[in-house]
Amino acid sequence: MWTVPRPKYRSGLSDEEEITVNIGGVRVVLFGDDLKRYPDSRLAELANCSTQNLDLISSLCDDFDPGRKEFYFDRDPDSFKCIIDVYYFDEIHIKTGICPICFIKEMEFWKIDQSVLDECCKSYLSEKEQELKEIASKVKVILEDLDVDQCITRTQRCQRFLWKLMEKPGSSLPARIVAIASFLSILVSAVVMCVSTIPELQVTNAEGKLVEHPTLEAIETTCMMWFTAEFLLRLTSSPNKLRFVLSIMNIIDFMAIMPFYVVLSLTYLGTTSMMELVNVQQAVQALRIMRIARIFKLARHSSGLQTLTYALKRSLKELGLLLMYMGVGIFVFSALAYTMEQSHPETLFRSIPQSFWWAIITMTTVGYGDIYPKTTLGKCNAAVSFLCGVIAIALPIHPIINNFVVFYNKQKVLETAAKHEVELMELKSGRQARRKSNE
Amino acid sequence: MIKTGVRLTSTLPPETIDIIRTKTHSRRVRLNVGGLLHEVLWRTLDRLPRTRLGKLRDCSTHESIMEICDDYSLDSNEYFFDRHPGAFTSILNFYRTGKLHMMEEMCALSFSQELDFWGIDEIYLESCCQARYHQKKEQMNEELKREAENMREREGEEFTTTCCSEKRKKLWDLLEKPSSSFAAKILAIISILFIVLSTIALSLNTLPELQDTDEFGQPTDNPQLAHVEAVCIAWFTMEYLLRFLSSPNKWKFFKGPLNIIDLLAILPYYVTIFLTESNKSVLQFQNVRRVVQIFRIMRILRILKLARHSTGLQSLGFTLRRSYNELGLLILFLAMGIMIFSSLVFFAEKDEEDTKFKSIPASFWWATITMTTVGYGDIYPKTLLGKIVGGLCCIAGVLVIALPIPIIVNNFSEFYKEQKRQEKAIKRREALERAKRNGSIVSMNIKDAFGRGVELMDVMVEKTDERREKVQDNHVSPFRGIPKIKSPVSPRSPTKTAESDFQEQAKPSSSPQHLSAQNLEEMYNKMTKTQSQPNVNSKEKTPHSKAGRQKTEFEMGCIHNEAYSGTAEAVTDMRSVSSIDSFISCATDFPESSRFSQSPGSNRPGRVSTNPGLEPTLENEHEGSHGAATPKPNPSSDNARPSNPLRSCLVRVRGGDDSARGVRPDSSCVLSPATSVYTTASSRTPSKSPENALPGIFTFHDSSVSKFIDADTDEEEHPHDASGTNATQRLLEKASPKFGHFSSFQQGPNHMGGLSKRLGNNALPSEGRGNHVAQELQPLQGDTSHSSK
Repeated sequence: MWTVPRPKYRSGLSDEEEITVNIGGVRVVLFGDDLKRYPDSRLAELANCSTQNLDLISSLCDDFDPGRKEFYFDRDPDSFKCIIDVYYFDEIHIKTGICPICFIKEMEFWKIDQSVLDECCKSYLSEKEQELKEIASKVKVILEDLDVDQCITRTQRCQRFLWKLMEKPGSSLPARIVAIASFLSILVSAVVMCVSTIPELQVTNAEGKLVEHPTLEAIETTCMMWFTAEFLLRLTSSPNKLRFVLSIMNIIDFMAIMPFYVVLSLTYLGTTSMMELVNVQQAVQALRIMRIARIFKLARHSSGLQTLTYALKRSLKELGLLLMYMGVGIFVFSALAYTMEQSHPETLFRSIPQSFWWAIITMTTVGYGDIYPKTTLGKCNAAVSFLCGVIAIALPIHPIINNFVVFYNKQKVLETAAKHEVELMELKSGRQARRKSNE
Repeated sequence: MIKTGVRLTSTLPPETIDIIRTKTHSRRVRLNVGGLLHEVLWRTLDRLPRTRLGKLRDCSTHESIMEICDDYSLDSNEYFFDRHPGAFTSILNFYRTGKLHMMEEMCALSFSQELDFWGIDEIYLESCCQARYHQKKEQMNEELKREAENMREREGEEFTTTCCSEKRKKLWDLLEKPSSSFAAKILAIISILFIVLSTIALSLNTLPELQDTDEFGQPTDNPQLAHVEAVCIAWFTMEYLLRFLSSPNKWKFFKGPLNIIDLLAILPYYVTIFLTESNKSVLQFQNVRRVVQIFRIMRILRILKLARHSTGLQSLGFTLRRSYNELGLLILFLAMGIMIFSSLVFFAEKDEEDTKFKSIPASFWWATITMTTVGYGDIYPKTLLGKIVGGLCCIAGVLVIALPIPIIVNNFSEFYKEQKRQEKAIKRREALERAKRNGSIVSMNIKDAFGRGVELMDVMVEKTDERREKVQDNHVSPFRGIPKIKSPVSPRSPTKTAESDFQEQAKPSSSPQHLSAQNLEEMYNKMTKTQSQPNVNSKEKTPHSKAGRQKTEFEMGCIHNEAYSGTAEAVTDMRSVSSIDSFISCATDFPESSRFSQSPGSNRPGRVSTNPGLEPTLENEHEGSHGAATPKPNPSSDNARPSNPLRSCLVRVRGGDDSARGVRPDSSCVLSPATSVYTTASSRTPSKSPENALPGIFTFHDSSVSKFIDADTDEEEHPHDASGTNATQRLLEKASPKFGHFSSFQQGPNHMGGLSKRLGNNALPSEGRGNHVAQELQPLQGDTSHSSK
């Protein structure tokens, strides 16, 4: 039990200004003057209203003891102790240990604006709110999966079924099989892409040029057919076409498929001599590189990769910092190395842009040894650049790693939290249903 | 804020009509939880009618109220609960706002316990706190699992009464526990030396200068080094065989990863010998040679034998096993990076003449060496495009490798810390055991704790099922709520309650395991300090106990029945979250109290049983069943044991004929009703059972009683716990003020006098409320005994 010490100079004032409140068992004596500084707040209203107006009082507080003139509130006393600060210091700090979400609810009850919350606590609050939002989005996904059977028409049901089959590997056994099949096909196509470049496995065609082995090509074609079928099925079954087209995963899918068909059409155009053959071949070559995109399709099947992309997206600033450090380092050290190595007759540093390569390889501690300094000064410079490179990489990488670790750990926690939230919602809805039936 | 207006036992319990009147009279109710006053509207409590507080509203008789709360006073409209006040704030807010939040600094485990007590399901926890809660809980469960595994391991080391178990155990200790004795330490060092020697010999063998040539002109082993090798292998073989022979569980031994490594280190040698001997004539055949070569390579595995002697290596292995997810992630990242960059560089470089990037697989090597920043320089890009790709590859490599490693590192450091902690714990345990062997510390038998730990695991599994059922029911934990209240009436409640109670009981048991090392040390010190006094008693006691075994056994049986038939509350202390100091006091006091067990004044079996309750443990000791007595500093069980006569009774019956092997199942079967009782935290209807009648008992229980009260600070005592120390304690509580004084008087000359005097004074106003006494005593003592939280 505690009271706010009454300032001495006030002792002459009448007791009318003083109200006693009992917050969940903790009695506090408050002064009307202070309370009126925030006229919208619940306590100020209470101080304003006369003790005779019982209706108003009962609407403001939970219980009123006319004998002791004590207003009773059935609220959390701990939070109140923090909230009462606003009348004296104009700002509120959340006591450590109180859940900020809970605290905000209390503030709403006392009708105190959230803006008085101090900055230091606001960041904490926003952090929590962010987390809640993430959980909510997860819950939404889970709930979406749950209410499948609400579709009316048959086509809709079909669409739903397909969507689940393609997108939710955890929903059923066939869906899991589809996921595994698509995973394997990605792996196979990636391996085929690599193996087909081995000269020993290539065959010479009619013009004496090395081309891909026919069996490999057949495998490649089947994989491509599978990817196409998958993509089309996803597209047709997706409930929201625009969102589907814009999502990164599907863009990657499209990029993985597209080169194949472009190459097909180009070769067709080339053979029908609508375009020059040389141009066609160049275009085909360029498009072959695009095949690498299929490796990114793995991201659909690995949460770790998704976390990586998410973390990288979140730490773009740090990545930029890393590149900037590296860029500055490369520029400085390559220029230094170039000038220092000028004295040597057989120098490997012929120009500053050429020594950029040396600087990158040294700063990242790779060190191929194709270019290396020969003079003493140049060697000293190399040592310094190596040290600076280590530091330049290590410093910005730390926040990136941190982001990654945080996301990685959070992912798991959020998953369980979302599940529990769903359970809780079920529980509550069940109770409501029962209540309704009782009524 | 310690409550003053406590109901006096001398007055009659209030009439039902009075209770109803006061309840209807006021809209509010004051709840005193652990000394903190809360005021709440009855209306608010009605929101969750099936919880403990919700039920309080419906209670109209004295008995039913006492079932729910620990104490109450109608005058001030106040109900007292002896629970953690911090957790209650958030629980009360749940009633007010409908949102269950958890205090930030609250331990998740103790919070879940509190939730259990108040009859609220943890599923109501808001999602903002839920994430943290479940994370912590999972962590706890993992820890408990590991602890239980350890216990099981130690359990497995029990030596049955087959041939020469004594010698085998000694051998096992010698070979497996280097810290157990000086000889074992030397043996371990020799073993390490042999490993090092053999690996040196293995690598020297390949030096061309040291190699001989055989008749085919092929290089063979140096004969001296071959001798060294043979000696080493002989040692390894001997070691392995001895271990195998002495191991208590052969199959488990065979399966152990360290032993598999041992076997793999030995086998290649014998296989090589076998192959070369059997194919002497056809040795020139290349494939035999190749096989032999492969087996020679396998000899390298012997370096892994060092893992047996190094905690660091072991935790590295465990870490890798635990973080295979992250390792997979690392490999996946690397593989993707290699794939992408090698194909990019291939397309960039392939038109260059005399290029080394001939195909994508050929450039895999380059990508690997670049991404790991090794950079041999045997392949490097020459075109501008290739160099740009190379630069990106370096940076991407650094990033990609760095990302998952901190997670693995984190796993490692956690595990390493844990390992260190456990090593220390084992050392302490051994110190305790040594002290015990000296005959001073009684009842350090830890078996029950092990048993509990094992059961605990089962409970954890069962819990998930339980939860599912709970979800179906739409209100707050019907299973947890109702049986708790009802269980005293029907002690042999359905398995369901038993399970949930187990869970309850299991959870607290974990907390003492997390006792800080400091506490343990303190405990140990205290024990050794008090050694000198009790030593005499316990020694003098042993012959007595042997002689009087029949009699005490019989008595125990009686009590057992009584306890069951009376109110079926049976034993309770399994709840077991006793504080460290309570444990100490128990342990140290027993010998003293045992002095009185033979005193002629003790003619009532109920009272005498205090001391017999302790006998079995003594016997276990003196009968030399050391395997069972590995002291594990789990004060909970230790405390439970001496103060729980029913259990010790069972122990005793068994203890007569063989080692403590049979103890565990028995005690566990006793446990279930016992714990079910515990959960009815306030089930103490004022008992009229005959045991708590005669106060004369205190005269010879002075110090032990006083200490027992402080021992039970966080145990719920049950008046019906008819026999044993609890009985005496309860007797003290039930005693009129006069007796409280009396006991303190008696304790005057005692070495614990000061403390007990204070106790006596405190007991005066609050007679009958053991918890209350304890609670008041707690701050006075200044000891931290919060393990129940």
